[in-house]
Amino acid sequence: MSDAPQAPTPAAPIPAAAPAAKPAPAPKAPLPEPKLNAASGRLLTDRFATWPQPIFDSKWSRQGYRNGALMLAGILLGGGLLGALIGELAPWGDALYALVASRAAAAGFAPPAADLAWTLIKVLIVLHVILLNGLWAIWWERKISAHIQSRVGPTYAGGFHGWLQTAIDGIKLLLKEDVTPAAADAPVHALAPAIVVIPCVIAFAPVLFGRELAAASLDVGTLYIFAFAGISVIGVVMAGWASGNKYSLLGGLRAAAQIVSYELPRGFSVVPVLMFAGSLDLAVIARAQEGYWWGVVPRWFAFYPVVGQIAFLIFLIASIAETNRVPFDIPEAESELVSGFHTEYSGMKWSIFFLTEYGYVLLGSFLLATFFLGGGASPLPWTPFTLVPSWLWMLGKAMLMMFVFLWVRWTLPRMRVDQLMDFTWKFLLPWSFANIAIAGLYLAFRLR
Amino acid sequence: MLEAIVFWSLAGLVLLSALAVVTLRNTVHSSLFLGLSLAGVAGLFASLGADFLFAAQIMVYVSGIAVLILFAVMLLGRASDLHLRQVNDLWPTALLVCVVAGAGLFKVAAFFEGIVALEPPAPGTRAIGRLMLGDCLLPFELVSLALLAALIGAVFFCRSGGEENP
Repeated sequence: MSDAPQAPTPAAPIPAAAPAAKPAPAPKAPLPEPKLNAASGRLLTDRFATWPQPIFDSKWSRQGYRNGALMLAGILLGGGLLGALIGELAPWGDALYALVASRAAAAGFAPPAADLAWTLIKVLIVLHVILLNGLWAIWWERKISAHIQSRVGPTYAGGFHGWLQTAIDGIKLLLKEDVTPAAADAPVHALAPAIVVIPCVIAFAPVLFGRELAAASLDVGTLYIFAFAGISVIGVVMAGWASGNKYSLLGGLRAAAQIVSYELPRGFSVVPVLMFAGSLDLAVIARAQEGYWWGVVPRWFAFYPVVGQIAFLIFLIASIAETNRVPFDIPEAESELVSGFHTEYSGMKWSIFFLTEYGYVLLGSFLLATFFLGGGASPLPWTPFTLVPSWLWMLGKAMLMMFVFLWVRWTLPRMRVDQLMDFTWKFLLPWSFANIAIAGLYLAFRLR
Repeated sequence: MLEAIVFWSLAGLVLLSALAVVTLRNTVHSSLFLGLSLAGVAGLFASLGADFLFAAQIMVYVSGIAVLILFAVMLLGRASDLHLRQVNDLWPTALLVCVVAGAGLFKVAAFFEGIVALEPPAPGTRAIGRLMLGDCLLPFELVSLALLAALIGAVFFCRSGGEENP
């Protein structure tokens, strides 16, 4: 039974061979002699010499930044010239309406027909703002993300910095197969992208694109925008449930919890602005910020001490959370949920979710510009700036805010689910309530 | 004329989608139709010129309550929720209650039928604000108190036993 002790197996060759197999390290270039400060003994470093010389010399860096500065100057100058050429847009709109009305009267239609045609024209214009914004913002986001990550982004399509990339991607998406999974609830699955995108388009109706320049002037404009922007989450939940996929369902549930939670601080952070302006109408809110303190500092709500900055930050954070973008992209967290609620979508249905995301980024940018950055008012009270038409200032401020959206996305890591919920319920919401109280004190002591 | 077409088509939409809420077998479809019905009510408010109520209805009911109901249905749902009848054998009684309540509402509405608004609808946000923080302050605060009590009650019932998490 007791077997003889086995002959000890020869030492396994693997551990013995491992160290010998390693090649000798290549001889390194000698490090430069360290230069020390004679007084303190600290190491002196030349900031630029620490960069590898080939990268610093390459055309993507030094020459690239020079080109970028020239391009920015060109955009500013060209935009100024374009603005001087076109002037304010509202008179053009009035002229167009007069043309439509005269044509309708000449053709013998009743007056409501002209109004109907005019409404359709305005709807088409706003729709194209959203669609073109999709083309522009996706290209811009890809360029910004590339430069943040030391890449170059799309370069070839269209020639100039890959400007045609998104349009060609759009054609590709239109040509792709539209897949409905076998486990899906087909009608709900097909309807979900529509329920996501339609409220986004509707919410743009009272958005201010310049001084008094909006598709519809609504007395309850602010409330209207928040109400319709909140409907999209139903589409997201429908998409998550109808895909018949547990990752999608989890994504949909997370989206519902997140968006319903972040709607509260988003709404309450604007209440101080509404208190100062005394109206829900966006045009009245923008008009309440006209004028300058001491002749220089614009009277924007973002510059009201303490209350303005708190409201601005809370509104910015909650707006980013409402668009499901990166620090808050729990509903589509790639590392946990494949891609969340839109895992089972393909082709144009999938891209509609993205079109809506960028639509909401644009909406948030215009709302930030209207509520906190003075709308179409010039930031400086001097002549060359005040002559620039209001829609150009509005667009510039909105694009600045859109840059902040994209910048945040490519800078911050994703939050965990519980951190996300704690952040809104225990931090943003109490501070937005406190901010309303501070605004009440301002009004009580007439400090505005 | 145009107003009447909008009003009656919205009323039909509200009623049909409300009917779908109680007759469909799939609870998720039911809750989606509930959202549609509530949105139709918002459209009715808009067609009657109540702009603040329209926006508040969309904000609170469609993008708040309907989403929470969907959330609950999906989170607590069982497989049987998707194909079983959602009503039991007492549905004729419920129908009777609905008919009686509907008849009562119709009587009340018929009483006010002759009253015609003399002015076109105007923005009402300021007037509603004055009413809520002026003449109707006490009822407004009482309703807030009732909602607060409901909120605290929900938190109380959601705590799973006081011993585990003191």
